Amino acid sequence: MNSDNQLILEFQQGSREAFVELFERYREPIYGFFRRRLDYPARAEELAQECFLALLQNVQRYEPRASFRSYLYGIAIHLVAAERRKAGREVVENEMLDGRAMEGNAAENNDAGIWVRNALGHLEQSEREILMLREYEQLSYGEIAAVLRMPLNTVRSRLFRARAALKNQLLPVRD
Amino acid sequence: MERNAQHAFDAAEVMAYLDGELEARRAAALAAHLVSCSECQEVAQGFRALSERMLSFEVEHPSAGMNETVLAALDSGQSAKAPTAGRARNLRAWNWQRMFARPRNWAIACAVTVAAIAFIGIPILRRERSAPLNGRNFTNLVTLEHEGSAFRASEEAQGPANALPASRGAIPVFSERTVPPEPPPPASGDELKAPENVGPMIVQTASLNILATNYDGASAAIEKFAAAHGGYVEKLDAKAQTRNARELSAALRIPTKQLDAFLADVRKLGHVEEETRSNEEVSDQYVDLQARLKSARATEQRLIELLGTRTGKLQDVLEAERELARIRGEIEGMQGQSAILVHRVNYATVQVDLSEEYRQVLGSGPISTGTRLRNAAVEGFANLEEGAVALAVFLFAVGPSFLFWLAILLVPGWFLWKRFRVRA
Repeated sequence: MNSDNQLILEFQQGSREAFVELFERYREPIYGFFRRRLDYPARAEELAQECFLALLQNVQRYEPRASFRSYLYGIAIHLVAAERRKAGREVVENEMLDGRAMEGNAAENNDAGIWVRNALGHLEQSEREILMLREYEQLSYGEIAAVLRMPLNTVRSRLFRARAALKNQLLPVRD
Repeated sequence: MERNAQHAFDAAEVMAYLDGELEARRAAALAAHLVSCSECQEVAQGFRALSERMLSFEVEHPSAGMNETVLAALDSGQSAKAPTAGRARNLRAWNWQRMFARPRNWAIACAVTVAAIAFIGIPILRRERSAPLNGRNFTNLVTLEHEGSAFRASEEAQGPANALPASRGAIPVFSERTVPPEPPPPASGDELKAPENVGPMIVQTASLNILATNYDGASAAIEKFAAAHGGYVEKLDAKAQTRNARELSAALRIPTKQLDAFLADVRKLGHVEEETRSNEEVSDQYVDLQARLKSARATEQRLIELLGTRTGKLQDVLEAERELARIRGEIEGMQGQSAILVHRVNYATVQVDLSEEYRQVLGSGPISTGTRLRNAAVEGFANLEEGAVALAVFLFAVGPSFLFWLAILLVPGWFLWKRFRVRA
């Protein structure tokens, strides 16, 4: 099984199959990335498409020194930031995370999910982003540091703070 | 997540261990520690539980339409379908673009350039500065003034090739020589006599613009022609500017009888681009002047006779003396005017403007390319130095107040920023 980096290099050489393979691998993760950060599924899907289209158009900018996941989620972060600016600086996200009823399927609207959304909404933004990249996108500390362009130790310390804060909200406190 | 300060591993390390981000040796130690440490086990369990809890935030699957859109874009050519060579070329172009798009790279490039210039240029400039500057004037302004006769004599002795100091061999950037008006030849009695019974008195002037192919020969010939026809040079200006045609402007006085012959000779010097002649009749002025002169002389004679033959009061005598002196002053003035008028009639004024048929010369001119580069380097370093001094002056002038206000505003600004971030 080829690694992501091998596939993107093959795609740079013109291999359509390589891109299809990458798309299959990251279609749902990228959609989930946007879906957890945006209010509406349709908009999340549009941005996921834009993310892959941006990858198509800018594939030559990819350099092997960075991991493909960092590159791809870097594009996604950029799109989310642009969306937030367009929607009035995080209004969309805050509305999503404030526990308001959202459209979606039943699994999304379960009680546990709502609690988690609410708890995430109370985190500081950069800490929340780091935590979500770690827990949902399964990025390593190094990849998170590359995506958010911050030092590795900063990622680690903020992730620890975010987890501690979230734990206080979600998990029962033992006496 | 309060932990015992004496504990071997803190909670952040436990977290990193669970995330697989702990260094291998430390991870092995922590794994061994976890077996026996209930406190660390509890911490680890807390992180695991949190991760499991977070996974309850599920999302639905994307629709099939997303696949179609992306794959359609892939097939429509938005992907990298270009031939390999073209793609490689694009990649190289992109790398260059990115390299120059980064301010850091620009800063490095500028620093390297300045260092290279300083490394190479400063020793050269110091060597140049310490060397004697004899004969290294970059511009040479030469102004030669000659008495008319001496000038002619020196030119005749040097020959046509040296007629002008600004000839190609001497190469001053700019040279000009001016012959001040030559005093008119001493007026003999014949010259000042009116040409009686020879018709009207005419002051003649002529002007010629000549484009000479042989400029050196023509410029020397003008003065020779003037001398040969009994005339003289009243004023002579010669200009030879770098990369421009040389020019000579001569004001000549030629005996009227020789004017036509002189002009005929001058016309042979080159292509006559413009020639004008004008005649001004001054008979009326001369006759009037002579009449007033005659009257004044008669008055003078009567006053002399009165003073010699009559006696009277001393006051009357003094009055007659004053009147005689005034009349004599008028007579002398009119004699001078008459002499000038006669001279203007006897000597025509000829203005000859001679210009060279200039041929552009390939080359850098009198200043060599190396010298020009060196001058440019000196100017560049001077500008650099001035810029650095100006920047330092600006920093010293503005810096203290800037730092003061920065210190005043930075702290509240930082608190506002933090509050804004917390709200966001």
